[in-house]
Amino acid sequence: MSAVLSVEAYSLDYRLRQGTARVLDGVNITIGRGEVVGLVGESGSGKSSLAWAIMRHLPRNAVEAGGALRLGGLDLRGLDAAGVQAVRGRRIGMVFQDPSTALNPTLRLGEQVMEVLIRHRGLTRPEARDAAEAALTEVELRDPAALMRRYPHEASGGEKQRVVIATAFATQPELILFDEPTTALDVITGARILELFARLREHTGVAALYISHDLGLVSRVADRVSVLRRGRIVEEGTPAQVFRAPAHDYTRGLVAAVPRPERRLVADAPGSATVLAADALSVRYGRRRLFRPPPPPATEAVTLAVREGEILGVVGESGSGKSSLARGLTGLASFGGAVQAAGRRLDRPGAMDRAYRRAVQIVFQHPDSSLNPRMRIGEILSRPLRLHGGATTEIPALLEQVRLPPDYARKYPHQLSGGEKQRVAIARAFAARPSIVICDEITASLDVSVQAQVIELLLALRRQHGTAYLFITHDLNLIRQIAHRIAVMQRGRLVDLREAAAIDAPDAHPYTRALIAASPTPVG
Amino acid sequence: MSAGWLIRRLLLVVYTVLVVSVLVFAITQVLPADAAVTLLGENATPEALAAVRDRLGLNDPVWLQYWRWLTHAVAGDFGLSMRTGQPVAPMMLVALSRSLLLALLSILLMLAIAVPLGLWAALRQGRAADLLTGLVSYIGVSVPEFVTATVLLMLLADWLQWLPATGYVPPSEDLWDSLAHLALPVITVSVIMVAHVSRMVRSETIDVLHSDYIRAARLKGLPERAVLLHHTLRNALLPVITIVALDVGYLLGGIIVVEEIFAIPGIGRQLIVAITARDLPAIQAGALIMAMTYAIVSTLADIAYALLDRRIRYD
Repeated sequence: MSAVLSVEAYSLDYRLRQGTARVLDGVNITIGRGEVVGLVGESGSGKSSLAWAIMRHLPRNAVEAGGALRLGGLDLRGLDAAGVQAVRGRRIGMVFQDPSTALNPTLRLGEQVMEVLIRHRGLTRPEARDAAEAALTEVELRDPAALMRRYPHEASGGEKQRVVIATAFATQPELILFDEPTTALDVITGARILELFARLREHTGVAALYISHDLGLVSRVADRVSVLRRGRIVEEGTPAQVFRAPAHDYTRGLVAAVPRPERRLVADAPGSATVLAADALSVRYGRRRLFRPPPPPATEAVTLAVREGEILGVVGESGSGKSSLARGLTGLASFGGAVQAAGRRLDRPGAMDRAYRRAVQIVFQHPDSSLNPRMRIGEILSRPLRLHGGATTEIPALLEQVRLPPDYARKYPHQLSGGEKQRVAIARAFAARPSIVICDEITASLDVSVQAQVIELLLALRRQHGTAYLFITHDLNLIRQIAHRIAVMQRGRLVDLREAAAIDAPDAHPYTRALIAASPTPVG
Repeated sequence: MSAGWLIRRLLLVVYTVLVVSVLVFAITQVLPADAAVTLLGENATPEALAAVRDRLGLNDPVWLQYWRWLTHAVAGDFGLSMRTGQPVAPMMLVALSRSLLLALLSILLMLAIAVPLGLWAALRQGRAADLLTGLVSYIGVSVPEFVTATVLLMLLADWLQWLPATGYVPPSEDLWDSLAHLALPVITVSVIMVAHVSRMVRSETIDVLHSDYIRAARLKGLPERAVLLHHTLRNALLPVITIVALDVGYLLGGIIVVEEIFAIPGIGRQLIVAITARDLPAIQAGALIMAMTYAIVSTLADIAYALLDRRIRYD
């Protein structure tokens, strides 16, 4: 079998102020004709660096420390600038993680497909227009001619990613690099993109390197999988081999960290008293204007109640109103309807007093933007302590609760890893001794293994304090492991609310069933 | 951009000009200048002064005077100059046209220098060329305009004798001579404006070059020229539109010194003459015309921005 791409004993260093750091160490990967190889690794494993090396787009401080990169018989490392331009987009296509940033916001979508055809296939503009339209038809876009005239902000995320894929396939390259192509999309859109990829692969027989941190997903698309850890390939084989019988400890840990709905992590039952309830809660953004219909509400008449010590999951795709529900419940957004807590009915954010704010805490998705970068961790934690009648002497104990060493109190957020920062955010929420913590996609930006640790921490804190959680997520598999009940939201409305065990029951809402179908089934 | 927005934006221009008109009128009211005294001189008899005041309506309530002035102004009649006895509106509009010609040429020259300079500095970010262009353009903006003007005058007019030193020739009379006379002031003003615009182009270009879509364009195998001209420049230049619109304000009111040195009878210079002569109608007309021009240019900039970046949705 002749290889389309072979990476042979390839090593790469980055020159840093503190010396050189090895990011890739003797990496070997071979992709045969029509083969899809999955490259799995957590953030910092070097998986993106390998993609940049293959595309010959390395940062200035990168030093190649040996090995070969071959495309067919072509030595990629030996190419000059003109040679590189002839390979990029022509022989190797690339699909990027986030289609909304990978497309130029001020150029029409059609233009961005056509320029590749003009450049690499030597077409005239009218020819390129026809070819681009054909390429967009190929990726199953409705009315491609109209779409070509639109700008990126006028298309949905799924449509944009299809345009990016069409651009990559339009020059009929031998190899396509996929860099987390579904991570920025919601579950159902991502699943459709994967289906499209499978069909395109069948038509074109293209070879691909599929880079992802998501094991479940890679196992569905790849013929072979390589697991990358700190620049080294620690394991490779077919998805079945790698995931069912992982040989390396690291892979075993990764496989164990993948959420599986059938493996419940919570066995107890919640109490019967209600700690927090939304009563026909609506959240609406934008000013009401004269002579103009009001904008549709982000969250419309949602009624649900969280019981003592309960974990209530809220799932739905992006834009379904999950976060707006959290903003309403915490009084960060003005709302219609009412919030009920501790037997009181609150009909506006102003009615939420200190007792309410102490009892209802929130942890946000991005610790980077929710922790003040100019405050030390100790300061960040002392605020809620002082406000809610605690003492700053509790800080070491608080840090220990979230399994951080006490000397972290003197550090700044930027000195911590993503997982550690999220632990600080959790500690801040627990500093107020809340009866319920709203978790808004708190693991979405974390690696699978870190996510598993954060979840474990949340469950331990709950055992200790009896705290209830309103856990907002797009990851159905994860929430099925921990939630007592799951609420499903679609376009601002609550469409389903049922026991976690009955989420796949035949009487579930069609949208709930679609979400389950779109959630990647973990292997093994 | 909707038609509704456009109409509201134009109404905003009208509103701005109205507010300015009140201010202008109020300021000229508190000035220690009596129109009657200005007209008749210091030695006029009280009876004659009273008669003139009566004729000019100076004894009427202020709001009535304002209303009379505004309604006439809307029809293009700002009254007669107290200095020359001529209608002030045509005088000020002619001066404005000279200033606008100077402004337009200066902006064109400035852009022709600043955009390539900023782009070049961005591509050599952190290297000697970048630091040097930064230094030179900061010198350009820090040196007072009369120094720049004098140095250029000595160099190009006095020493090399390439260009006429001062004066203004209308383009309709002799185009080349007109341009030759405008060259020195245009160069002076451009040197001052190049600094901030080139720095702006530089920082915007650096931002855009680091964006994902530029990386995507490069990884599509597009040649560097296309990446720069087609993908980068358009996005990097958008904020420059706003800056240039602000510069028009500076060019209309702030370059009196330059107009004075090169003896260009622009609107700034006319306004100074009017103020020294306590020529109230001329002051009012000049100030209001400048405000109106500025409001219109800002609106045009907003429209251009919306046309070039379709993400901006005015509604």
